[in-house]
Amino acid sequence: MRRYLVRQLIQLAVVILGISILAFGILHVLGDPVLLLLSQNAGKDEFERYRHLLGLDRPLYVQYWKFVSRAVIGDFGKSWYADTPAFKLVLERMPPTIYLTFSGLAVALLIALPLGTLAALKRHSWVDSLCTMLAVAGQAAPLFWLGIMMIIIFAVRLRALPASGYGTWQHFLMPAFCLGAALAPITMRLVRSGVIEIMNMEFIKTARAKGLGEPMVVVKHALRNACIPVITVIGLQFGQLLGGAVITETVFAWPGVATLTVESIRNQDFPVVQCAVILLALLIVSVNLVIDLIVGLIDPRIHTA
Amino acid sequence: MARVALGMVFLLVVTLLMPTHVLAQTKDDTIVYALQSDVQNWDPPNSVLRESIILGYNVFDHLAARDLKSGKVGPSLAVSWKNLDDTTWEVKLRKGVKFHDGTPFGAKDVKATFDRVLDPNLKLTARGNHAKIKSVEIVDDLTVKFHTDGPYPLFVERLTAQVMQSEKAIKEKGHEWMQDNPVGTGPYKLVRWQKKQEHLLARNDDYWGPKPHYKFVRIRIIPEQATQIAELISGGVDIIKAVPPDQMDVINKSGAARTTTSPILRTAMIQLDQAGRSGPNPMQDKRVRLAANLATDMDGIIKHVLNGLGDRTATAVNPMAFGFDSSVKPFKQDLAQAKKLLAEAGFANGLDIGMLTTGPTVEPGLIQTTEAIIADLAKVGIRVKQRFIGEVGPFTNLVRDNKSDPMFTWSWGYYSIFDADAILYDVMTCNQPYAYYCNKVLDDLVIQGRSTLDPKKRAEIYAKAQKLIHDDAAYLYKWGLRGVWGVSNRIEYDAPKDEVDRMWAVAPRKK
Amino acid sequence: MSTVSAEIEQARVQTPAVERATLRRLLRLRWGVLAAVVLLLIVASAVFAPWIAPHDPLAVNIRHRLAPPAWIEGGALANVLGTDQVGRDLLSRMIYGGRVSLVVGITAVLMAASIGVLLGLTAGYFGRNTDWVIMTLVNVMLTFPFVLLALAVIAVLGPSLKNMILVLGVAGWPIYARVVRAETLALREREFVLAGRALGMSHLRLMFLQIAPNLTSVIVVIATLQVAQVIIAESFLSFLGLGIQPPTPAWGNMLGEGRVYMLNSWWIATFPGLAIFVTTLVINLMGNALRDWLDPHLKL
Repeated sequence: MRRYLVRQLIQLAVVILGISILAFGILHVLGDPVLLLLSQNAGKDEFERYRHLLGLDRPLYVQYWKFVSRAVIGDFGKSWYADTPAFKLVLERMPPTIYLTFSGLAVALLIALPLGTLAALKRHSWVDSLCTMLAVAGQAAPLFWLGIMMIIIFAVRLRALPASGYGTWQHFLMPAFCLGAALAPITMRLVRSGVIEIMNMEFIKTARAKGLGEPMVVVKHALRNACIPVITVIGLQFGQLLGGAVITETVFAWPGVATLTVESIRNQDFPVVQCAVILLALLIVSVNLVIDLIVGLIDPRIHTA
Repeated sequence: MARVALGMVFLLVVTLLMPTHVLAQTKDDTIVYALQSDVQNWDPPNSVLRESIILGYNVFDHLAARDLKSGKVGPSLAVSWKNLDDTTWEVKLRKGVKFHDGTPFGAKDVKATFDRVLDPNLKLTARGNHAKIKSVEIVDDLTVKFHTDGPYPLFVERLTAQVMQSEKAIKEKGHEWMQDNPVGTGPYKLVRWQKKQEHLLARNDDYWGPKPHYKFVRIRIIPEQATQIAELISGGVDIIKAVPPDQMDVINKSGAARTTTSPILRTAMIQLDQAGRSGPNPMQDKRVRLAANLATDMDGIIKHVLNGLGDRTATAVNPMAFGFDSSVKPFKQDLAQAKKLLAEAGFANGLDIGMLTTGPTVEPGLIQTTEAIIADLAKVGIRVKQRFIGEVGPFTNLVRDNKSDPMFTWSWGYYSIFDADAILYDVMTCNQPYAYYCNKVLDDLVIQGRSTLDPKKRAEIYAKAQKLIHDDAAYLYKWGLRGVWGVSNRIEYDAPKDEVDRMWAVAPRKK
Repeated sequence: MSTVSAEIEQARVQTPAVERATLRRLLRLRWGVLAAVVLLLIVASAVFAPWIAPHDPLAVNIRHRLAPPAWIEGGALANVLGTDQVGRDLLSRMIYGGRVSLVVGITAVLMAASIGVLLGLTAGYFGRNTDWVIMTLVNVMLTFPFVLLALAVIAVLGPSLKNMILVLGVAGWPIYARVVRAETLALREREFVLAGRALGMSHLRLMFLQIAPNLTSVIVVIATLQVAQVIIAESFLSFLGLGIQPPTPAWGNMLGEGRVYMLNSWWIATFPGLAIFVTTLVINLMGNALRDWLDPHLKL
């Protein structure tokens, strides 16, 4: 177990390193920070002065080292627009994003688990076909379209829910449902295939041979072992979830990291964009690590690997 | 199975533990106002944004204030004023006024405020407004003397354009602190500011003036107009501004809200970079500028795109401002002449040019009217490529820092001063942060205009100025705006013609 | 990461022979054929846009703005789907918008597939260090939500058609690499490869001429499904104003501009939204059918 943990941590460190290089590279290699900071009319000496000031005349690896050493203590520089430390801005907006992501996950599972299991158990029946059809249609519907329609129906026409914003549980309903519904189709199909795989395994046949009633077989044996693929599914989906959160937050004016990132991109506020990208990556990586650990704990196959 | 259940429970718990805002406010004691873009700071003289002016009015007071009904300037923190001679004004202050932190308001605060605004090292945006004031002298605790640089006809009007800030805050807390912490004498005080999300104001129960009806004001930042309208109709917001004319019928038919309009001082234009601040560009040639003005059918755009909600102007001077000269006529669309001028200027095959644009935070229908204008310009060969910056703060920063394109959409609210000087100085004289036109002759006229007290003479000077900027096609002129507000049916509120939303004046609608 | 191995195990579901022969599979294929036909129509309309579109998609006509679709009162047959906020014909803009979506979709996917397959082959074939390096890169990129990565790069490069294709193409390669690598690893030990090595064939020949052809079905299925993903990503970026810039018509930016009109001039945003939905749906259906037909074992 310990070796497994160590291997996972090394992988994690490498991934984070990679992402930091990516985030650094995006700004410094693809773009020119000085060009973005100064006006086009600034003279050559202004450019040189700023380059020196920002340390851009040093070799890339030196700059990268400075970037990383500062980032580790939380110093991502100040937002070029709001004059507050970028780290503080991003951190403030994390909780709404996290809450949205988890609620979305909860909704997706609430839809996908029963439907996926049902489809797996009643394979080849009309139930299965219907579920698959719904899944395909669901995957095709653009998330932002769904969000806009929901606002019109529930907020404007029915006046049942608030159109945007954050605060009460009513504010959560539409965004969470939207996000969850967007993820449900693919989650459902993964659940379905996971359950199918389990159902075909030896121990199920053994349980049946023992004479246990079908419900018991399903509930006691199948579902319990279906945890593994399901949790794996959650892990795989987390990155997707955050991607969906970007879209959901934008449509519902949710005060989270995603809307901050989009605004900062529009305002060309790079310190904030860099910081948000890295912190989100850290979040995803940590969640993946936790998932891997849980799977490692409960999946007997991995222990012995 | 147990583990799955545990997992689900965990998820459920996390979901349910999400913070429910403990709103101390109820719907009945709170008014909700929506802005498309947040202010960059709570220091009004340090901002060019209309949002800053509006928020400033609610948390601070000015020496004088305009009465909306009569349109006349009356006392506020100052109770009386008189000019002792051509260059000296004596102002008497109101007794018994306190700042939100309890310190009494007096002459020292007036001096500290103006000294700070006029300080050339601080480079505050409002400096240009008050450049004619040389110094402020404390006579006694409730009396100040203003010394001006020559005769200053707009002195009284401009008293409505500077908020009074606390000397204690200026001296003891300093500039940085003041950006986030307003200490004013006004009807509301700032309780909480979540940047880019919302502000919460609470009623100042020790206010010297009429007590506001609503205890709290929530200012929500909602960037999408579609969302603002949805919120207005569904009851999440009470007042929205700059409603697109195309959506007025939706609001009026909703049964939950209505629209109210008023001609406002704000005038729209497209600035053309004659001064070359964005680099060498075709707009430095008068013929190209003229061609642009002749290519566009502004009357048609007002009629069809704004549904008539605009008043065509020949220049950037608004009909409601003193000094407006109606004898200068707006350009009439003439595509042939425009093409001819372009050919003369060397652009027989047209030209490609960039335009910086922003969102409709203060100008209703900006996106659609800009598209129509660009289409018109294309008809004579001026091919425009738009660069869109959604938030108005960064947009104005780009303009200020010479990083704009040779054309950019612009509008000016005159700081609610109904005088031609209030636009010509800031928007058309050399070396102003937001002016991309520079013409010495115009500069001289503007200085003359603000240096004589004789209204007849001033009117003549401004007539000359308008003819000059019209004939020189300084900018691509558009129209005087009609402000459109969306207002919830639960409140009484009329469109303010000086574009200042007075939260303290909002009252519930009588049944 | 263990998730990789678990996923690969999942990729090989034991399907009993009974499934292949059922009616269901045939039914699925029928949907696939129908979808392919619709897709062909969409592609054709995009290709022949200049001949099919009734009007110039950029022609502004403010006197006829916000005209409703022909079947509603106030509409006219001249503008079957209505006009937008500055009077441009919606149908023409939709047809040209389809061009943009398809161009971006196909080009970006071709780019992603080329890079991904190459890297996946290399990783799977050479193994050891090369494999580790490439797979780490894949993991790094897959960790990140596609959308966020695209956003970050557009932030620096600026919004334009060229940049979008670049960004979406570069963001999309990891999935090919991962799957191709897994398949290559398996194929590497098969007889025909070992035989080739014994005969002295060069690595390159082995990789491209022996192994790669076995991967076509996988690649085709992934690519098809990815086109739909890319189209949605492009629409979203354009919707945000960070993709194709107006006035160039793209379904995403039409949706974005039309959003404020949803409560009265609903057609401006509704039809582009429908277009995105239908196109994505038929691509997915066709992709699924392709997968069932070419390699039912694949659980993607």
